Amino acid sequence: MNKNLMNVYGVDASKMKGTPLDVFLPETIDEVKRIVTTNKRICIRGGATGLAGGAVPENNVDVILDMSKLDKISNLSGEHRLVEIEAGVILDDLREYLYEFGLEFPVKPSSHMVCTIGGMIATDAVGNRAIKYGKTSHWIKWVEVIDCNGKLERKGITELSDYAGLEGITGVIVRACLKLSSVKTRTASLVKVGDLDDIVATVREYKRNTSVSMIEFLDKGISKKIGLEDTYHLIIEYEDDSGKFKGRDYDKLLAKRDEVYPLIASDGFVRIEDPKIMLDKFPKLMRWLEDRKIPTFGHIGVGIIHPCFDYNQEKCIPEMMKVVKRLGGAISGEHGIGILKKAFVEFNDKKILENVKKRTDTLSKFNMGKVI
Amino acid sequence: MVTKTTKPIPSKTDKIEAGNLMEEVAEIFENCIQCGMCKSICPVFKILKEERVSARGHAILLSKKILDKALFECTLCKACEQKCPLDLKICDAVRKGREALVLKGKGLKSNEEMITNIRKTGNPFGKNIGDNPEKLYCC
Ligand SMILES: Cc1cc2nc3c(=O)[nH]c(=O)nc-3n(C[C@H](O)[C@H](O)[C@H](O)COP(=O)(O)OP(=O)(O)OC[C@H]3O[C@@H](n4cnc5c(N)ncnc54)[C@H](O)[C@@H]3O)c2cc1C
Ligand code: SF4
Ligand code: SF4
Repeated sequence: MNKNLMNVYGVDASKMKGTPLDVFLPETIDEVKRIVTTNKRICIRGGATGLAGGAVPENNVDVILDMSKLDKISNLSGEHRLVEIEAGVILDDLREYLYEFGLEFPVKPSSHMVCTIGGMIATDAVGNRAIKYGKTSHWIKWVEVIDCNGKLERKGITELSDYAGLEGITGVIVRACLKLSSVKTRTASLVKVGDLDDIVATVREYKRNTSVSMIEFLDKGISKKIGLEDTYHLIIEYEDDSGKFKGRDYDKLLAKRDEVYPLIASDGFVRIEDPKIMLDKFPKLMRWLEDRKIPTFGHIGVGIIHPCFDYNQEKCIPEMMKVVKRLGGAISGEHGIGILKKAFVEFNDKKILENVKKRTDTLSKFNMGKVI
Repeated sequence: MVTKTTKPIPSKTDKIEAGNLMEEVAEIFENCIQCGMCKSICPVFKILKEERVSARGHAILLSKKILDKALFECTLCKACEQKCPLDLKICDAVRKGREALVLKGKGLKSNEEMITNIRKTGNPFGKNIGDNPEKLYCC
């Protein structure tokens, strides 16, 4: 590829930068095999919506393997609720295709209109509906992976953990068989909550309701920014018609929710984190964040929150990670480790990941310098 | 406005004008957060699946003041502007980028041919199909 154009493939949504050695856009699985066998260091890229720098190449060392053109959908079985897809299929394209058959892939990150299924599996993406549907890996029957020698293998449930959530350090996911659920009619409500301790009680109550599929949190500042009152808000989604927002109003509310990060990023709060915390520890972490004026929203139903830092606040991140760990939480609930969070990985976790990497990527080819 | 044709050797003023346009374009994309939301609706990306033709692709190149002919693949449909959470004026930037390319003598040969044909025959095909209009307008 022309050197100038390669700049386009040096970034993802984390705003980290690198310059690839070359860029490949394979259209078939055989082409992926050839690229893998003829290149020494490969950085795998899906929709490049990742927020941890996972798809950013090491300067003049990595070639980019962009999976976007591997976008075929096949073998839909309505009876078994299964579909086979190539890794570059964009989630919303899949949703559109399945809708006609009354089916859906229920995990839905806010980047659903751009992220690829391959990227979702690699990061084990969580969506707004995690309280009901969990992570991407819960909906995978098998994946087909190309290893560092260019060999294609199918990996079932028992070996899935070597690939789902491993951020591409173990191999290239080229195809997958996804489990599906039926399309639901959804509605939503907005709930105002006065103080942080009340949020815990309110969320617990909604979680008991089995028709609730999403509980999203917006802090006071963010609520105001998107045109709501200056107080905390919860967006509650129902899989029946109990919500006040229905039809187009429901769509508009959810679209507003999807735009929260880009909106606050436009105010300079670009660095987004994704700690996961037990619900009863949430007020403590929130107070810490509020004291530092760090805007926060997130999937409170599953304890994943998104504090967003501006350039000057970024120095608080290591301290926040300590607070999260002290409160028994995890440093990344959904975005992955990539390059940005490498320094915060615990020693024991690092050792486990290194062992998986040694066993699967024997030629040290894929996404080197990421995660570990 | 009459469109400028591609010039093989750009003059000094053309170069300065192109430089100014590049400054303006880089400014438009200064705040791009590279979220990629603009890709979701781009008709050209939907077909080609190549980041270089998306608004994010244009933003990355133009903010580095890199001019590439990929700019001519944009339909200027403005769909990306609807999705951009920062309301960036993507099409203005693409248009200015194209103008800078033309000023630098790096426009598309096919466009140049079309403009010459329009001047000669009043239509882009270069075949005489009637009287030439007195004035020519172009986007
Ligand atoms: C506005 C916005 C909202 C977001 N909301 C959410 C959210 O709600 N929940 C959530 O979990 N995430 C969210 N994200 C983060 C991101 O969208 C997810 O991590 C998504 O799954 C990444 O998919 P992608 O195709 O863009 O992958 P990329 O960014 O291209 O890659 C991500 C990682 O996966 C690897 N990878 C990609 N494809 C493959 C493959 N085929 N084989 C092996 N490895 C591969 C890459 O090397 C990289 O390490 C959001 C991002 C943005 C910009
Ligand atoms: S949507 Fe706007 S801010 Fe986001 S990448 Fe595209 S141009 Fe940049
Ligand atoms: S204006 Fe150009 S970049 Fe934007 S959506 Fe239309 S074709 Fe794509």
